Amino acid sequence: MVETGHFALVLAFALSLVQMLVPLVGARTGNQRLMAVGGPVTVTGFALTALSFAALASAYAGSDFSVASVWENSHSLQPMIYKITGTWGNHEGSMLLWVLILTFFGALVAVFGNNLPATLKANVLAVQGMIGAAFFLFILATSNPFIRLNPAPIEGRDLNPILQDLGLAIHPPMLYLGYVGFSICFSFSVAALIEGRIDASWARWVRPWTLVAWMFLTGGIAMGSYWAYYELGWGGFWFWDPVENASFMPWLAGTALLHSAIVMEKRSALKIWTLLLAILTFSLSLLGTFLVRSGVLTSVHAFATDPARGVFILCILTLFIGGSLTLFALRASQLTAGGLFHPISREGALVLNNLFLTTATATVLVGTLYPLALEALTGGKISVGAPFFDLTFGPLMLPLLAIVPFGPLLAWKRGDVVAASQRLMAAFALAIAAMLVTGLFINGASVFAALGVGLAVWLVAGALTDLAVKSGAGSVTPAVMLRRLAGLPRSVFGTALAHLGLGLTLLGIVGTLCFGTEKILTLRPGETVELSGHTLRFEGLTPQKGPNFTEDRGRFLLMGAGGNPDGEITSAKRFYPVRQTVTTESGIRTLGLSQLYLSLGDENKDGSVVVRLWWKPLVTLIWGGGLVMMAGAAMSLLDRRLRVGAPAKRRKPAAALANPT
Amino acid sequence: MLFWVIAAILTLGASLAVLLPLTGGMKGPSPAGDHDLEVYRDQLSELDRDMARGLIQPGEAEEARAEIGRRILRLGAAMQPGSAAPKSARSARWVASMAVLAVPLLSWGLYGMLGSPDLPSQPLAERLAKNPADSSVDELVARAEAHLAANPSDGKGWDVLAPIYLRLQRFPDAVTAYRNAIRLDGDSAVRQSGLGEAIASAAGGIVSADAQNAFEAALKLDPANAKANFYLAVGLAQEGRKAEAVAAWQKMLGQLAPDSPWRSAVQQALGEAGGPAVADATPAAGPDAQQVEAAQQMSPQDRQAMIETMVAGLDDKLKQNPRDEEGWMRLIRSYVVLGKAEKARDALGRAVAAFGADSEQAKKFTAFAASLGVTATE
Amino acid sequence: MTRKQKRMSVILAGLAFLGAAAGLTFYALGQKASYFYMPADLATASVPPGQRIRLGGLVEKGTIVRGQGATVAFSVTDKQKSVKVTYTGILPDLFREEQGVITEGAFGPDGVFVADSVLAKHDERYMPKEVADGLKAKGVWQESKSQ
Repeated sequence: MVETGHFALVLAFALSLVQMLVPLVGARTGNQRLMAVGGPVTVTGFALTALSFAALASAYAGSDFSVASVWENSHSLQPMIYKITGTWGNHEGSMLLWVLILTFFGALVAVFGNNLPATLKANVLAVQGMIGAAFFLFILATSNPFIRLNPAPIEGRDLNPILQDLGLAIHPPMLYLGYVGFSICFSFSVAALIEGRIDASWARWVRPWTLVAWMFLTGGIAMGSYWAYYELGWGGFWFWDPVENASFMPWLAGTALLHSAIVMEKRSALKIWTLLLAILTFSLSLLGTFLVRSGVLTSVHAFATDPARGVFILCILTLFIGGSLTLFALRASQLTAGGLFHPISREGALVLNNLFLTTATATVLVGTLYPLALEALTGGKISVGAPFFDLTFGPLMLPLLAIVPFGPLLAWKRGDVVAASQRLMAAFALAIAAMLVTGLFINGASVFAALGVGLAVWLVAGALTDLAVKSGAGSVTPAVMLRRLAGLPRSVFGTALAHLGLGLTLLGIVGTLCFGTEKILTLRPGETVELSGHTLRFEGLTPQKGPNFTEDRGRFLLMGAGGNPDGEITSAKRFYPVRQTVTTESGIRTLGLSQLYLSLGDENKDGSVVVRLWWKPLVTLIWGGGLVMMAGAAMSLLDRRLRVGAPAKRRKPAAALANPT
Repeated sequence: MLFWVIAAILTLGASLAVLLPLTGGMKGPSPAGDHDLEVYRDQLSELDRDMARGLIQPGEAEEARAEIGRRILRLGAAMQPGSAAPKSARSARWVASMAVLAVPLLSWGLYGMLGSPDLPSQPLAERLAKNPADSSVDELVARAEAHLAANPSDGKGWDVLAPIYLRLQRFPDAVTAYRNAIRLDGDSAVRQSGLGEAIASAAGGIVSADAQNAFEAALKLDPANAKANFYLAVGLAQEGRKAEAVAAWQKMLGQLAPDSPWRSAVQQALGEAGGPAVADATPAAGPDAQQVEAAQQMSPQDRQAMIETMVAGLDDKLKQNPRDEEGWMRLIRSYVVLGKAEKARDALGRAVAAFGADSEQAKKFTAFAASLGVTATE
Repeated sequence: MTRKQKRMSVILAGLAFLGAAAGLTFYALGQKASYFYMPADLATASVPPGQRIRLGGLVEKGTIVRGQGATVAFSVTDKQKSVKVTYTGILPDLFREEQGVITEGAFGPDGVFVADSVLAKHDERYMPKEVADGLKAKGVWQESKSQ
């Protein structure tokens, strides 16, 4: 029932207006009844949005071409999975997914927020309602997915072949869960500004939301990077493309927020800064949405763009960023500052972390927006790419990564750098050893490569040191140590895992960039090629047929040590007749942590084929590290102290320690 | 009908979500301070646990405990006895009733502007399950396309579909279909000349080098192929080699069978090229020319009737294939010329709907219609 | 040092850090950003060989020549001037004659543009923005016709 979905969407918009006004008035006047409206309205709004989304998804699944968006982005012959993922593989549908997640998070606050002060909850829901109302209006006014065609065309125009991939099922929903998750932090901050006070429970609420959003954003970025890596056939995992930067900036700011929220929760310090950071993080998410949708920047990942939409989002952007920052300027002075601390302390380390991360965010922001500004001012067109970011972002990251292992080992309030350094001696020795081994024994290793490997090992070893020190390694027997390890708060594991994951990602990046090899050549069937010790034999091209495409699939045999085939890699050129589009399916074979990657070019007249192949050592660690970071965030979320609303069961300490497994 | 019932139920549910909390009972207010106190208590117990595990030194723990204690004291001082009493019950009631009213009014009003309540869902499987006799040409073509997509190496299928595409003016599709037919079922003069015609039509009638190649290939297989001969001559004319074109056409006239449908086309071409038509010319047989001629000889009423049939035909075609920009403009103009303002307005509405209200085309249509004195609304 | 001086020094260190970062950023923008040109722009702007730029335009019809191995030569045109480009590697799937393209690289001493990356857009319905703007400015590109 397409029209039911359309009606539900309109109704959800009406409810979001109620949600944004009534609880706000209730909180201003202290009227309990008005404040109580927020909860049920938010939940109902979510249910209606879900209904609307389900209606659109079923129209896509059933190839209902009387819906314009289905007609433009689907085809009756697509496999069912791509028919369904096609629901959000276009601008209109993805915006609906965006608000679906927004209302879902709002509903979570409404349902589980009973232990929040009533006025705070009312204000948070009202701010969520404002964001919701703005985006519902945006959808209805410029990007309505329910526009109908009468009479209905008989066949659709197919989903962009690049998007016909499992990546579309995972990457955008994760990314939106991340982007939109930060809206809750934003709403809490604005609510606190409206009230003019920050409760102690504020940080308790904001921290887990930051964790959730950060976890999904990490996963979304990692997934997107892997998707681009295998789908685009260029073998690159990160291009410093504006669209990538658009998701990377909230991640950097969100990482800073994650750390400053810890200080705020534990020590009631950095309150105002954390609040500002929460506003900035979500603002950067909105900016990302604007950059991606408006087409003001050229990107390799862009959606179909429409300037009218860009102007609308720009208005939303100005309204929310301008409004919240103005409110901040007016109210920040009323908020009480928190506890004091010595520069050398856990807080000090976290402040340093924030300083580096926000500066890094600023560099990425400048690099992304400078071409826009320059074009607006002088008309000159430039592109800012990897060389710029290598020169600015790189030097900021190196010292930050170097100090990461110190942070968790410093005490709150007043730390002891010397003691922390002593504990890190083993990790430091390991890192130096790794650096020397890389520099001296691996052919072609540059100073930079050795430094990178050393830094990565330093991060990994530092994270493990943290766990070892906290479980009392060296001073107690191994049995006691294990027991203590099992009894450590889960957030300690979370921190260690996240830092470890960062080290793994760095190792993957350094491995791929510094030790990867690459060849471009033409091959005839039967010819072999050798790359970094791997021999491949080209078997030839065979034409094949898929559900909505035809392809020429090239087979390559991986030759083992004895000259016997040891598995095969296939890569294909696909032709999608509906859009008259060719895509390249790259062939990837994972060997240990490394990958052989090959991509097929055009066939020459003499039957030979252009082939580009890469050897990418340790490349899987780039995304594996991302997964470990996600696991760290999940671990921290499981920590009872962070689970908001969880009943504070008093377990006996003995019981907690009794189970070493 | 069912839709309106569902819409009413949804509206009712949404309104209740606003209404119920407004009329429901109230819990006693819990001052914000309670929540803070709970947090601080938690922090104290966490401190104890950390100390039991030896994660922090007793000295640090004492200091932290003192700090949390200070926060609790400050909290006690800040808490005011009794929160502000609910003020201005009247304004609250006003806000409440506005909110309850806004939900149904806004949703029905907006939906009335945006929605298409009369349009049922049309999943493809359902549409294709219909009896073929009830299907439109487009639907039949779609079935053939579905079959060919599943069996793209069915050369015969492409061969059948290609001329249909040509007639439906889907020229690029026709080019693809002819190419596939040639690739799979081999060369033939008919296919090659069809391909040439498709290429030329796709280029708006220009006989390009590609089209020329196709026609020449057709002539190699069948030197008497009329279509190929005709278009090659058109190509000559387009290059400015009028005399050669005229010669070619005249040669054709000599060879063509007396009942050949090409005769009239050739004569018309000759007429346009200014060349002398052959004396024994048979009457024009081409459908378009015939119609025009017939129309000239008709009585005014008959002529009006015939024009109306043609306009209705155009209308029908646009119903089948709504994304034909030119077609819509022609239809709107025709209705204006026929003095049917109502129908013109309706056509404008449908044209705008076909491309989406905020599309470039919609703006163009509206401006075009306005220039003829037709506006979308009364 | 008194407490106040200590705090001041921390703040000053932070500001110095930010200043250094800002300085580096703007230095890098000056050095590492690559300018975008259309072929006709190159007549007025003097681009020394070896300087990295982006060159955008349409792939000129009939100029794609596949040479030895994986090297391809083609011309990029804005319908006023055209520039010869060579590229070694695999061209993007949407690389076609008469289609918009952005190449990045530098001019060799012989005046041929040596590209190390060639970008065409993901979606066949859209033209790279710079190219579309550039062509519009030169009056050789109309808004896309009805689809």
